[in-house]
Amino acid sequence: MAGQRLPEFGRGKAVSLRCEGEPLRAYSGESVAVALYAAGEGVMSRSLKYHRPRSFFCLEGHCGACLMRIGGVPNLRACMEPCADDLTVEGQNAYPSPDMDVLGAVDWLFPEGMNHHTLMTGSRLLNNVVSKVVRQLSGLGTLPESVDPAARERAACEEIDVDVLVIGAGPAGLAAAEAAAEAGARTLLCDEQDRPGGSLLADPRHGQREADRRAATAARAGAATRLRTTAIGYYPEDDGVLLLAGPERLARARARRIVYATGGYAQNLVFANNDRPGVMAARAVGRLLVRYGIAPAERVCVVVGRRADPDAAAALAAALAAAGCEVTTVDERRETVVRARGRVWVSGLEVADQSGRVRRVPCNLVAVAAPPAPASEAPRQHGCAVELRPAAGGFAVVADGDGRTSAAGVLACGDVCGATTPERAAADGARAGRAAAAEALA
Amino acid sequence: MSDRGPAPGRARGKVIVCRCEDVTLKDVRHSIALGYADIEEVKRYTGFGTGPCQGKECHALIAAIIADEAGRDPASIDPFTARSPISPAPLRLLAAIDPEPEGDEGDEGDDDTAEEHD
Repeated sequence: MAGQRLPEFGRGKAVSLRCEGEPLRAYSGESVAVALYAAGEGVMSRSLKYHRPRSFFCLEGHCGACLMRIGGVPNLRACMEPCADDLTVEGQNAYPSPDMDVLGAVDWLFPEGMNHHTLMTGSRLLNNVVSKVVRQLSGLGTLPESVDPAARERAACEEIDVDVLVIGAGPAGLAAAEAAAEAGARTLLCDEQDRPGGSLLADPRHGQREADRRAATAARAGAATRLRTTAIGYYPEDDGVLLLAGPERLARARARRIVYATGGYAQNLVFANNDRPGVMAARAVGRLLVRYGIAPAERVCVVVGRRADPDAAAALAAALAAAGCEVTTVDERRETVVRARGRVWVSGLEVADQSGRVRRVPCNLVAVAAPPAPASEAPRQHGCAVELRPAAGGFAVVADGDGRTSAAGVLACGDVCGATTPERAAADGARAGRAAAAEALA
Repeated sequence: MSDRGPAPGRARGKVIVCRCEDVTLKDVRHSIALGYADIEEVKRYTGFGTGPCQGKECHALIAAIIADEAGRDPASIDPFTARSPISPAPLRLLAAIDPEPEGDEGDEGDDDTAEEHD
C-alpha cells in the first residue's frame, strides 16, 4: 500500500498531524484521509458488527467508511476534514488499533454471518448478560472529553433569497449556474467539497485546471459560489426552505427555482470481501491522482463493471500507468470478480472467466468502476418523481429535456437524472440553467 | 442483465452490500426468502441504509437486488423515504435555528422572549 506524492504536483504548505500520538506529515489542502493514505496508514476504523477493517471507499464524503475521531470529535469523515498543524487523528471502534483489532475475531467466528433475530439463547439470565456485553461493544465512537467553548456559542442562521439556487458544482451544476447567471438571474451555486468541479476533479481527462476554468466562467457570468456547503434537507412546511450547512453556519435558502445537480454516489460491485480496505471507487482512485497528485499504489487493478462507462475507466487506467503504476484491467463484460484477497488490506483479486476458471490478479489497490447512484434525496423530499433504473445507477430523477421535474419550481440535471458523461451533464446543465432563469424572471 | 454476475455465494468471505451496518448479500436474500421482500421491509429486517451513510452506497444496490431476486420490474420499486439531514451536519449548526423568529407569533410568544433570541 502507500501512495507516492508526485513531485511535480503543486501542494499547500507542509503541516504535521498527530496520528495516534505520532507526528504524521501532510499538506494543507489535503484531507485527513488522503494524508493517512499517503503515509501508508490506510486502515482507519473497524465496522460496526463484525469489526471488519475499514478505509475510505468514495473519498468524497458519502460512503461513511472513513469515520474517525479528529480533533477530539468522534465520527467525522476523514475525507472531508482538512489537514492542519497538530490536528489529532484517532481510529475508532478498534482495540488496540484499526489494523490489529482483537474484536476482528467476531468476523472470523461467524463466517456465515450472525443473524441478530435468532441470537436469543432461551435463557433470560444469559440473554441479559449478553445484552449488556453487546451494548458495551456496539456503537460508534466515544464522546469528546471536553467541549470547545466556541462550540457552545449559538451560531447565527443566515437567510438566503435568490432567483436560482444550484446545488452541486460538478460539470452539470457549473454549466447551470453559468447559464442562469448569464440570463440575468441572481444565482447561487453551492457544493459540499472545498473546490468546485465535482467529478471533473476525479477525471484525468479534465482535472483541476478544467474545473477552475469552468468555475471562473460561471463566476464571470455573475454566479456566486459557496463551497463546503451542503443541502441537508427541504422543509415544505417552512415556506419551502432548503437548509444549507456551511462550515461555520447554517443558511435557510429560498429560491424561485432550484436546480439539483447533485450528481451521484460512488457504488461498489458485488463480490466476496468487496469491503476490504484498498477496494475503492474508481472515482476515489482518480481523485487521489488528479485532485491530490498521488500515484495511488504500485499495482492497481481497475475493475470495469458491466454498466460502467468504459471510456472513463480506460482513461483512468491510462493515467495511472502514466503516473508509474502497474495497471491491470478486469472487464466484467468478459470476466467476473469473485473475491478480494488480503487479510486487512487488499492483496489481489480472484477473477473467474465464463467457463468458471479462476485466476488471481495480485494488486494492492482495486479501482471499482460502476455507474454512480443518483443523489436524489433532496429532489425526493421536494416530491420529484424518481425511477429505479439500475443501468443509470439507481433512483434517477425524472426530468424533461430542459431539466424540469414533476415538482413545480424544481429542475435537475446531470448524473442525478441517471449516470451520464461529463459532456452530456454540462449540456443538460446549461439547458436547465437557462430554463430555471427564464422561469424565475418571468 | 445484472451487474452482479454469477452468484459469488460459493467464494469464501462475506459479500457486503451495506458497509455501514455490515449487511451481507446473504442477509438480504434471507430477508426476501422470509417474505420481507419490499424495500422498507428489507430495510427494517436487515438494518441496511440505517448507518452513517443513510443509504448512499447501499440503497440503489439493494433495490436492484430486490428487483432481480423477486423478478420485479425495477420501475415498480419505490425508494425509501429520504430524511433530513441528508448529509452529516453538526448539531451546533442546527441549534442556530430560531424556533420563534421575529414577526412569527408563537402560541405563547411575547415581546420578551422574542428579544432574547436576537
